[in-house]
Amino acid sequence: MNDHYIIKAESITKTYHSGRTIIKAIDNVSINIAKGDFLMITGRNGSGKSTLLHQLALLDSPDSGAIHIEEKNTTKLHEKGRMEFRLLRLGYIFQEYALIAELTAIENVMLPAMMLESIKKAKRKAFELMEKLGLEEKVNRLPSELSGGEQQKVAIARALINRPKIIFADEPTANLDTIASKDVLDIFKYLNQKESITIVMITHEPEELAYAKSKVQLSDGRIVS
Amino acid sequence: MRQFYLPFYLAWQYIRRGRKWTLLLTLFLMTVAFINLVFVPSLFSGIIDGANKQIINTMTGDLYITPKDGRDFINNKDQLISQVQAIEGVESISAKTLVPARLKYNNISGNWQILAINPNKDKKVSNISQKMISGSYLNELDTDKIIIGRQIAGGKEVEEDAFSFKDARVGDKVSLILDGKSKEFTIKGIFDTNFVESDKRAFITEKALNEIMPSSINKATTINIKTDPESNQGNIFESIKDLNIDGNIFTWQESTGLMKSVSSSFLSINILLSFTSVLIAAVTIIIIIYVTIINKRKEIGILRAIGIKPYIIIFSYVILSAVYAAIGIIAGTVIFMTILVPYFIAHPFSLPIGDAVLFLSWSDFLIRAEIIMWVSVIAGFIPAVIVTRAKMLDAILGR
Repeated sequence: MNDHYIIKAESITKTYHSGRTIIKAIDNVSINIAKGDFLMITGRNGSGKSTLLHQLALLDSPDSGAIHIEEKNTTKLHEKGRMEFRLLRLGYIFQEYALIAELTAIENVMLPAMMLESIKKAKRKAFELMEKLGLEEKVNRLPSELSGGEQQKVAIARALINRPKIIFADEPTANLDTIASKDVLDIFKYLNQKESITIVMITHEPEELAYAKSKVQLSDGRIVS
Repeated sequence: MRQFYLPFYLAWQYIRRGRKWTLLLTLFLMTVAFINLVFVPSLFSGIIDGANKQIINTMTGDLYITPKDGRDFINNKDQLISQVQAIEGVESISAKTLVPARLKYNNISGNWQILAINPNKDKKVSNISQKMISGSYLNELDTDKIIIGRQIAGGKEVEEDAFSFKDARVGDKVSLILDGKSKEFTIKGIFDTNFVESDKRAFITEKALNEIMPSSINKATTINIKTDPESNQGNIFESIKDLNIDGNIFTWQESTGLMKSVSSSFLSINILLSFTSVLIAAVTIIIIIYVTIINKRKEIGILRAIGIKPYIIIFSYVILSAVYAAIGIIAGTVIFMTILVPYFIAHPFSLPIGDAVLFLSWSDFLIRAEIIMWVSVIAGFIPAVIVTRAKMLDAILGR
């Protein structure tokens, strides 16, 4: 295994059943993602982008094939191991922020850190991160009291709290206006360039591709370019 | 262990920041479920307890002595009373002698139970002296006065008016016919214990009986004993037995007769209704918690996605359910104790066996609280397990 790659996916396939119809969401996809890459995945709706991202981020498991992350074959892991992997090494940002409504911004951010550290330490780390992202005034706001851009920044901070090696983002700017989108992408660029975090992101917006170091395009569950 | 506080933290935030109306509705339903679980059993317990108290307070005392088998009287009752009185825990004693006589009022006569008592002593064992609805209680020196129960006096409102004196009043004369001889007594008082069996009795003084039946001196047909509520009744019972007295000793439970079958039927109904109440409470709680957790399906998925272990998520919902249950139990207890119990004491259910108020022993109360707690914990646990085992992405994406 070449340690140049942080993710190495080999021949992964994922099918869904819709009644009697079998849908091949991703079909025998192999992809290698280099350490420190900023990879953007594009493709039309239904091309399999999100399904691929879910497999790579260990939110789902492929029907066949193998996914190595930092040389570890994650397809052999049980759910407990996958969960630990997600907690310690991966960060995931959902299109619709996926914040816990009952928790304030800082509580949402500190939640993954509370699995590893005391509340006090987790809170301090969360505050530092939120400060970096310009959210220091919003720490005690509930998600419903934040704008879309602010919520996405909170989601980014939450993904970063345990210092992951890889960040996965599923159309993180889809619900944001131009300014907020640029903010989010600038953060990703900073994390990628200054913190050497590998970023794998799905986008629909051609202008966002300018931020990418590499790109793949999916069509009908296959990589076409 | 670092993660130990996390479920508590999550549960607390759900309570603190969840939708207030949903929380209030949930707590209201938990309170109603708990009240439902304690109300019906406490009503039946209240009826049984009320009937038992009537038997103890108006008829038997806590323990009672009857003549030995084959005999009509307990002999040397004064000596026996002094012996029993000396036992620790015995509070008071009253001897009663059944007068083998008939009562006649105008043209109506009947074989009601007439008992001769020492009023001063009987006052300390029975509560009939406090149940006078007309006139007054007997005096030790009364030799021509009688007190009669409401069922003997009769009246339009009286349950057994057809077999009564049909509205006899205080001051009216009644004749006591014993061995063909008649003696006139004046009705000094009428009592109403609200217990039909007790109210079908009449009382004269021991002094009056001794005058018309000298052979009854120092004899009794029953000796009623009141014990100190703090004392051990079983020990007192054994101590009296050890005296080798001229009589048989019984506990009040052995005298319940008809009431025994009524009580046992109520007990059976109570068990059935308790079972139904538990079932209703369980189903209600399971639905409440299940709906709460299903509504949190997406959040549970997110928590799993960011690496929160399932047991922490499950435990947080178990804690949440336990908190709902605890608040429901506390609120239910406060409503039960401060509203329902006082209301039923002020407006008891009036039954021929006595007034029924709500009564539930602390042990029964705690058992029901425990049932609610366990049902809630299980109700929180099962759906939380189901949701955390469901496909994470389906939960997050609402599929």
